[in-house]
Amino acid sequence: MSTLATKSQPIYAELEWDRTGTHHILFVSAEDAALAQRLLSNPPGGTLTLVHLRPADDSRSVWSQNLPDTALYLEAHTLAEALEVLRDAFYVAQMGTRIYLAGSEDAIWQVSQLAETFGVSRDEIRHAQLGTKARPVFCVHCRTITRGVHTNIVSCSGCGRSLFVRDHFSRRLGAYMGFQIDAEVPGEVPAAEVAYP
Amino acid sequence: MSSASLNVEIRRIRDLAPGIREFSLSRTDGDDFPIYSGGSHIVLSLPLSDRPHRNPYSLLGDPTDRKTWRVAVRKQEDSRGGSRWLHEQAREGMRIDISAPVNLFSLNRLGRRHILVAGGIGITPILSQARELARLGADFEVHYAYRAPEYGVFVDELEALAPGRIHHYVQSRREQIEFSSLLAGRPLGTHFYICGPGGMVAASMNAGKALGWPESHLHSEQFLAPTGGEPFDVQLTLSGKAFTVPSDLSLLEAIEQQGVDAPYLCRGGACGQCELEVVDASGELIHHDLYLSAEERASGKKIMPCVSRLKGGCLTLNL
Repeated sequence: MSTLATKSQPIYAELEWDRTGTHHILFVSAEDAALAQRLLSNPPGGTLTLVHLRPADDSRSVWSQNLPDTALYLEAHTLAEALEVLRDAFYVAQMGTRIYLAGSEDAIWQVSQLAETFGVSRDEIRHAQLGTKARPVFCVHCRTITRGVHTNIVSCSGCGRSLFVRDHFSRRLGAYMGFQIDAEVPGEVPAAEVAYP
Repeated sequence: MSSASLNVEIRRIRDLAPGIREFSLSRTDGDDFPIYSGGSHIVLSLPLSDRPHRNPYSLLGDPTDRKTWRVAVRKQEDSRGGSRWLHEQAREGMRIDISAPVNLFSLNRLGRRHILVAGGIGITPILSQARELARLGADFEVHYAYRAPEYGVFVDELEALAPGRIHHYVQSRREQIEFSSLLAGRPLGTHFYICGPGGMVAASMNAGKALGWPESHLHSEQFLAPTGGEPFDVQLTLSGKAFTVPSDLSLLEAIEQQGVDAPYLCRGGACGQCELEVVDASGELIHHDLYLSAEERASGKKIMPCVSRLKGGCLTLNL
């Protein structure tokens, strides 16, 4: 399966409001009724902006129900669209803002990278993994990131090498490291197993 | 364990304001100084008659000037001799030892905007930070509070660095910085830096926290002068020394006088380098430092000997 857990692998704490903040921006990209209920029934003081990435259909989302009256709710249907909405939100945000990111690791760490370009520090952002365990995988050979990887071995979308997906995670790149598994004996690639459902 | 020292000559002394003097220093071996980062300080070893006396001062010149380093010294009324020596005895051409630069007040280069605040002589590290930010082309502003117009030292240098971005607050004109409004509504990614009197620093930190600023964006520096106090006895377990700290020496100075090499960097209660383990204390630990947390103080297991003392009794240290 995978290598031993490494120190760089993120451990996600239960998502809680940081009530020392005076403005709050929450990005969610997965349904989690219990979490939505817990967070939204006891909102923090100050403004709350919720950016919700969800499929464009008519279903009711747990995140759009029970919203506090004061919350600003913005919906996006693709990650690119969500990132544009968040870019605008960060652009006008003030010091005192706390950022909460809940969803797939691929999505939350891309938002995290965006926030860092606005000079946001780590004590201003909280992350929670929700939904898929799929990994973004950075190819250490060609530097392409292959997204949505469920298996422990994957073919790099950039160079086609068979990459072994490590637990070694880069916060800067927002991806796990993948390295060529058949470098010693070309062509000797074990069968891939689903490791990150 | 003291950091490497450099021998320098006092090249120039300038009186800048009542009680404030600037000293320009050059290396006696003719070599270049290292480049330092904005906000750094050095420790000067001053040849007072009975003992060497070490005081920290911020470097205020251009961090890339490798021929001359500058410090500015305010004469402390209750000085134990350091600032008084610099004001009354120091002459151009004299040689003294200084430590390598240490930075406990560095800029966060990932910041998108920087607010620098100086109170009085606290302008010295702010000035070198402003120079570094100007060189980087960063977005910054300076807020400078001082007692009266004649105390506004280095205002010309500041104005040249950031025309129109220097804000003055002159106490004699009843002007003062309102931190709640200064820190309100600032864009994400702003960093705040302050060097000044304790009350001013505390007021700014409280205003920042109330507005939701996280600790990582609130930066401050204060140096404390060791205050004298009642004499007390000290035992050092590792070196086997037993002695009394007189009222006019700090614990660190008394340890050094015994020939014991104790660690230190800032000598002003700020950096934490000189922390010593308390084995036993028959008496009350008087903590003056800005480093130990409330829990660490309560534990009674740690002391910063550069500024802190014992009231009565005997202090046993693991040194």
